Amino acid sequence: MFEKAHSHTHEKPGLRVIIVGAGKVGRTLVDQLTKEGNDVTIVDKSHEKIDEITNLYDVMGLVGNGANYSIQKEAGIDSADLLIAVTDSDELNLLCCTIGRRVERCAAIARVRTPDYIPEISYLKDRLRLAMIINPDLEASREMARLFYLPSALEVHSFAHGQAELIKFKVPSGHAMASKKIREFAHEMHNKNKDVRLLICAVERSGQVQIPNGDFQIEAGDIVSFVLPRRDRRSFLHLMGFENFTVNNCMIVGGGRSAYYLSLQLIHMGIHVKIIERDPKRCEELSDLLPDAIIINGDGTDEALLREEGIESVDSFVSLTGIDEQNIFLTLHCRKVSNAKVITKINRTNFGDVISDLDLGSVIYPRFITSEAIIAYARARRASISTNIETLYHMYDSRVEAIEFRVDTKSRATDTPLRDLPIRGHLMIAFINRRGKIILPSGDDRILIGDTVTVVTTNTGFNDIDDILS
Amino acid sequence: MNTSIIRFILGHVLRIEGMLFLLPALTGIIYREDEALAYILMAAITFLLSFAMTIKKPKDTVFYLKEGCVTTALSWIIMSLFGCIPFMLTGEIPDFVDAYFEMVSGFTTTGASILKDVEAVSHASLMWRSFSHWIGGMGVLVFLLAIIPLTGGSNINLMRAESPGPSVGKLVPRMKSSARILYLIYIGLTVIEFILLLVGKMEVFDSLCITFGTAGTGGFGIENSSAGDYTAYQQWVIAIFMMLFGVNFNFYYFIIHKKYKKAHEIEEVWWYLGFIIISSIVIFTQIVGSVGVIEPAARQAFFQVSSIITTTGYSTVDFNTWNTLSKAVLVTLMFIGACAGSTGGGMKVSRIVILSKTFLKEAGSYLHPRSVKKIKMDGELIDHDVIRSTNVYLVAYTMIFVLSFLIVSYDGKDLVTSFAAVAATYNNIGPGLGLVGPAENYSVLSSLSKIVLTFDMLFGRLELFPMIMLFHPGIWKETILSKTRCRKR
Repeated sequence: MFEKAHSHTHEKPGLRVIIVGAGKVGRTLVDQLTKEGNDVTIVDKSHEKIDEITNLYDVMGLVGNGANYSIQKEAGIDSADLLIAVTDSDELNLLCCTIGRRVERCAAIARVRTPDYIPEISYLKDRLRLAMIINPDLEASREMARLFYLPSALEVHSFAHGQAELIKFKVPSGHAMASKKIREFAHEMHNKNKDVRLLICAVERSGQVQIPNGDFQIEAGDIVSFVLPRRDRRSFLHLMGFENFTVNNCMIVGGGRSAYYLSLQLIHMGIHVKIIERDPKRCEELSDLLPDAIIINGDGTDEALLREEGIESVDSFVSLTGIDEQNIFLTLHCRKVSNAKVITKINRTNFGDVISDLDLGSVIYPRFITSEAIIAYARARRASISTNIETLYHMYDSRVEAIEFRVDTKSRATDTPLRDLPIRGHLMIAFINRRGKIILPSGDDRILIGDTVTVVTTNTGFNDIDDILS
Repeated sequence: MNTSIIRFILGHVLRIEGMLFLLPALTGIIYREDEALAYILMAAITFLLSFAMTIKKPKDTVFYLKEGCVTTALSWIIMSLFGCIPFMLTGEIPDFVDAYFEMVSGFTTTGASILKDVEAVSHASLMWRSFSHWIGGMGVLVFLLAIIPLTGGSNINLMRAESPGPSVGKLVPRMKSSARILYLIYIGLTVIEFILLLVGKMEVFDSLCITFGTAGTGGFGIENSSAGDYTAYQQWVIAIFMMLFGVNFNFYYFIIHKKYKKAHEIEEVWWYLGFIIISSIVIFTQIVGSVGVIEPAARQAFFQVSSIITTTGYSTVDFNTWNTLSKAVLVTLMFIGACAGSTGGGMKVSRIVILSKTFLKEAGSYLHPRSVKKIKMDGELIDHDVIRSTNVYLVAYTMIFVLSFLIVSYDGKDLVTSFAAVAATYNNIGPGLGLVGPAENYSVLSSLSKIVLTFDMLFGRLELFPMIMLFHPGIWKETILSKTRCRKR
């Protein structure tokens, strides 16, 4: 409680943010935005939800309809920098933002989830002059689809418009990397293939996350994150000895919106999709929307049904029901009876410590995906004009951040060889993207204007490229 | 129970108190009094203690309502404990129970004194007594919230436990900014009154002490006649500022930010002004005959009404000699008290408004048993929880009042004295009626009564529940259990 906030967040005044909707995402946003020192006002129709949030966080609560101009005025829209509408209803979110945009300087972000609006998203965004329209289900399904390219990875985050990726693996026992220093292993790799460089950005061991240097010794069971240019991906993984197989079919339990978006992408990738959904009406809708998928009407938690549908022989299994506990059990069951690649969706993030102890494989948190995008935007607004945050990911339960900065103007960090820059501890410059070319930097490289720079750090809260300097 | 965070905050409270000791010390040095030494010594001791308590930062900074209550209650008790030591060191109030009574009376902005001759006390101690009103008025934890970098939102539990009123909210999103705004308004009003008194040719020392007493709605005088010897102008200034400090501070915030509509919507303030006007007129009609002249009668009536409803307790005349109706009006005002979110005490006007509206609604439901009607205040629906807690507050308030009244009656003083003594301390007013009237003091009571009244003052200032929580066996059980569990690990 009395901790000093990070010095660099102190320098710049916080944004004045109004959040409409105190649901799961609203709450995650409140948590993150207040931690970063912004003034947050939250509006919701429910008295209980507002009470709960104002008791937990240092925010102002307001009970009422966020689309009402007088309520927005009371929430301080006239001096606000950012309005975020994340209520359950897409139409209400859009209406909130439309009304909020009466105040010219206040940017607006709306969450829109209904697939019907997806084709019109960019039109809506321009027409209503919104800063961002965010669709968590679509974003989550994109993140999941990336995992299908690399089934042996736990997480794949993409940067520089997909040119580079951060890939998370668990080091299996007996792997060539185990019990070796990073420097030695990198050397071995280099001898095998001159083109490939190894860069490990973060390592998690028994709950502790570190940004390692060359002398760090990797052990079996560690969870490590690599940076990889996309073009090197296959050869690199082959070299690393991570077996990589091609996924041909996928079983999805739960036929909600994210299942729909995911299926669309998987079908596009040529993967056979089977969706198990309980509600017959939804099944009919899905079969209309996804003619190429097999839609099964039945209870996805019924072991006999799963076996009948061949859970033992599927390549991949995704549990997307609305209930986290069900998703976890389904995944654990699947891991037991088959060798499939499994992905679990977790909506709430309570009991995170228990979840990370379970051997679930890949886990997707849609509400983090939403808040990451919004927080990246909020940080960029706070920062000086010279830099911009392109992408931001929270990794290892938000203990590590991977941020991609766009460098538009000259600053202390530019034009100097990296070895001469006073770079902070617990930070690694993962790569520099220079006009589509990915550079894994060494001490001689420098940051130039026009680059995007991706850093991985355990110091959270960076707004600006200069924040990497001490 | 998170005992380490409580220790840490108490340490910070002591550090602030150490700094506050420097003002009476400085006063003593200016007037070349030996008493200054006692304050310098205490400043040093509290500083050292505070460093010892805050050197280890708590690992766990989680902070719930119960911790908020316990911290608030403990910090007021401990602040008064350290605050009363100089009185004993200087020998001005040698007895511990008396000194503690005097100090609690200061911090809780009661203004009830056991001193027979105030004018014999040193300037340093007089300054400390009056200054304690100013600190206690807005609350030391609110001050702490304004200056110390606190992260996490649960610290609203501290403000909630210390600030008066049925529902405590924030003015702006961040706690720290809210606390700062409150203190800025407070300091601003204080400075204006101080200047106006100086303009009225009051001595610097007197105007400072009187301003502190008015701002915190305390009421410690520095003359035996309380405010009786001041000029008419000075009395008007004091009376008007007492009234102003009893207004909900949100009202000023809205006025400053030109949100006149919002300010107008605070019903409580209008009720409060209504009470003042009506009571002043009633008392004026009662005393104008004996005073004879209109201006002094109006001034006396308004001054006393303003002083009692804001629970300040200054007096220009001995209202003990007024007729029964006037005294009854004053006693009623004692219980009503000032607005929520002000520095005043009592039950708070907003609670009276809520209770009256609930009462009317209940009465109406006999007429139309199936009618559905929601109670509104300030143009908004009142949450059922607020109504419930207001009702419970009334019950707890009455029970503690009756209990204290019974114990104080054991002294054998007359009924009016016993009743008024409890009413005047419980509602943080100061002077009561009978033997504890404005021309008298509390030294006639026994030690037992003084101890009970000391607790009543704390109960009244902290609005019962933080103090009740401190004595709740569940809190102690939990603390002891968690301690032993830690040891086993």
